[in-house]
This record gives sequence, structure tokens and C-alpha cells, in this order.
Amino acid sequence: MNTAADGLQTKVQIKLTTRHADIELPEDPGVLLVSTSVRRYGLSSLVNSLLQTPKPTPFEFLINGQFLRTSIDDFLTANGISAESTLTIEYTRALIPPKHVASL
Amino acid sequence: LTHLDSSTTIPTPETARDLWLHHESTTHSLAQTLTEHLRLILAPTLATKLRGDFRTGKRLNLKRIIPYIASGYRRDKIWLRRSQPSKRAYQIMIALDDSRSMAESGTANLALKTLALIARALAMLEVGEVAVVCFGDDVKVAHEFDKPFTSDAGAEVFGQFSFQQQRTDVKRLVERSLELFQDARMNGQGRGEELWQLMLIVSDGICDSHEEIQRLVRMSQEQRIMIVFIVVDATAGQSLEQDSAEAEAKGIGQDTKEKQSILDLQSVDITTEGKVVRWRYMDRFPFRWYLVVRDVAELPGVLATALRQWFAEVVDAAG
Ligand SMILES: [Mg+2]
Repeated sequence: MNTAADGLQTKVQIKLTTRHADIELPEDPGVLLVSTSVRRYGLSSLVNSLLQTPKPTPFEFLINGQFLRTSIDDFLTANGISAESTLTIEYTRALIPPKHVASL
Repeated sequence: LTHLDSSTTIPTPETARDLWLHHESTTHSLAQTLTEHLRLILAPTLATKLRGDFRTGKRLNLKRIIPYIASGYRRDKIWLRRSQPSKRAYQIMIALDDSRSMAESGTANLALKTLALIARALAMLEVGEVAVVCFGDDVKVAHEFDKPFTSDAGAEVFGQFSFQQQRTDVKRLVERSLELFQDARMNGQGRGEELWQLMLIVSDGICDSHEEIQRLVRMSQEQRIMIVFIVVDATAGQSLEQDSAEAEAKGIGQDTKEKQSILDLQSVDITTEGKVVRWRYMDRFPFRWYLVVRDVAELPGVLATALRQWFAEVVDAAG
């Protein structure tokens, strides 16, 4: 698999879910096609845009119960998952470190 | 979720053969319908351009005047005529998506059925040569242009699909096909006949590198290669249920979770600054001529319509 040259272009289908009723999407967007170069920050922007929150909230993401700390691409490679699969991505509110809160 | 080290691979020759025979027989009458549609569309209808060289005609062929004088007025085939439509020969390539998403979305079986239907219809039509290529990570010729597409050939083609390839490189497919078409043009049968080249891609339609693909599609248009993209849609619920036994026989996973149509799929672009743009995936699909098929029964009609429109455009362009 020679994804290095055009890795930026690789897309993957994702389905967003959450266990928390208060942050459920008002309208189910269904499966979304995103670039595998996306990281937590990008996904967080996506969920905020779908929630239409006036003030952006940071989110954390889990794939197969594992927190996403890299790009989706690196996560797939590390876990031997193919970008041909539809990924179910769970989101949850990020726990903001107290220091960060204080500085707000 | 499925992992890369899946051991499901190529079907046994017996399985492939059974599946081919099954699809061939269940699509038989549809194939006949398609053959009839295609016969009307692919037959020569274009009045050809003026061509030389005749002793009498409509317009002088200026290139012939000087040799005519130089020959002491003996080489007198100096006229152009609008001749009868010339016989057309076709080279038609069917490219089938062998990537894993086909198995995961449950469209692999519908895709094989579509392949059987089209290949049989074209073989009955006897308009030219038919090739089949398999694509995913890479492109492989599963059936060559210069071989007849018999029932045995069909079974052999089916035996080369596993729907386990880890990428869907449509850009590479189009690039490679242009080369294959070029070679086929050089080697093809029916020299002197008007050669038309047509490519039918059968896939779930999920691919990336759209801009580069668009560029290649334009290039193929310039080389007079028509590409029709047949999207087999995941919401092909009923027909898939009927076929679940076949699918199991071939080891194609069927899951029962609800399927979403590609028509509802949204693409998302997220900039590094976090700006989010969403659009309907099919609104920016890189192929101009595409069909979305949920049931093979729809195929003869929609494919014929697309080809008819394309030919109408070519006639227009030829003025
Ligand atoms: Mg695919």
C-alpha cells in the first residue's frame, strides 16, 4: 500500500456517535467522508459545526474504545484497520485541565 | 471493523463458476433487453465526414491537385464524397472495483451481477472486443480484449475478484486504462473500421483524488474514450437479501445494519484553522457520465439513456 505519496488525499467514511444525550447531534448527518489526515482538533471543529454551538467546546474522540491521539491515518496504520471500512467514532466532552480553565 | 490480515481471498474455481452461472442465468432476459437497446445505439448513425479519393464528387481534395497535375492529369481521384456511414468497431472495457469497501457495503454481489449482465449483453451483440479489469490498490487485466467473452471466460473473471483490496485507486485505474486503450487501438481487430472505445466502471463510487481524476477524464474525452461510471448503491436492500446465499457462498460479508445511499453521503473538508465545509458527495463526483443503480433490472434502461445522450453529443460536436 503506497499511501505515502498521496496520503493527504485518502478519505475515510466515518459515523459519529456519543453516549451523552446533551451533546447528541440535532440532525443525524449519516456517514461522512473525511480526509484521513484529520486529527482531534479537526474532528472537534466538525462536531461543533454539526452541533451549531455558539461557543466551541473541545471534544475527545474514541475509535474502538481507544482515544485518538494522532491523525486518523496514523491510527488506522497502528491498528491495522483499512480506510475502506466505515469508522464509528465516539465523541465525548474533553476534560479541560484545571490550569487551562483558570487561564480562561 | 475488519483487519488487514484477513484471510478471505480469491474464491475457488468451482465457487466462481457456480456464481457466474447463477448470475448469467438470472440476468439472461435483462441481457437480451440491453443487447436490443445497444444494437440501436451503437449501430452506425453518423454520416461520415467527406473523404477521398474519388473520380467524381462533391468537393475537390486540394491535397490531390498538385500530384494530379504532376502526373499529367492521370491520377484523377481528386474528389471528396460523403460516403456511407462506415462500419464501427468497439473496444469496451468493464472495470470492476475489487476494493474492500465493496464487501463491507454489501455491493460486491450486485457489482458481479452487473458485470455478468453487461458482459453477456456485449458478447451477444458482437460489436467488438470486451475486456475486464480488476482495480483497487492496483489494476489487473482479468480478461483481455483479444479473447472472446464466453461463459468459461466469465467464470474465470469471477475467480479473480476477492473484494479485499485495501485501497480504491480510481486515478490509477483511469491512467492505466488510457494506456490499455492505446495498446488495444494499435493491436485491435477491424482496421479500417471506425474504432470507438468505451469504458464502464462498476463501483460503489467511493474514491478520492477527485481533481486529478477530473483531469484524466477530460484527457480520455479528448482521446474519444467514453467513460460511464456505474455506481452500485448500498441501499440495494431487497435484491441483496435474495442473493445472500450466493454472497455467503462467495464469502462476501453481509451485515444487516442499515445502509445509506451514496446520494445521501456528505463530504467534509476541515481546514487546519478548523473551518468546516460540507457538501453532497455526488455533487462533485469527478465523472460526468454516471448512473446510480440499486437493482440490475434498472440497468438496461439507464445505461442505454446515458449512451444515447453521449452519442447525441458526439454527433453534435461532429457538426
Ligand atoms: Mg473502495
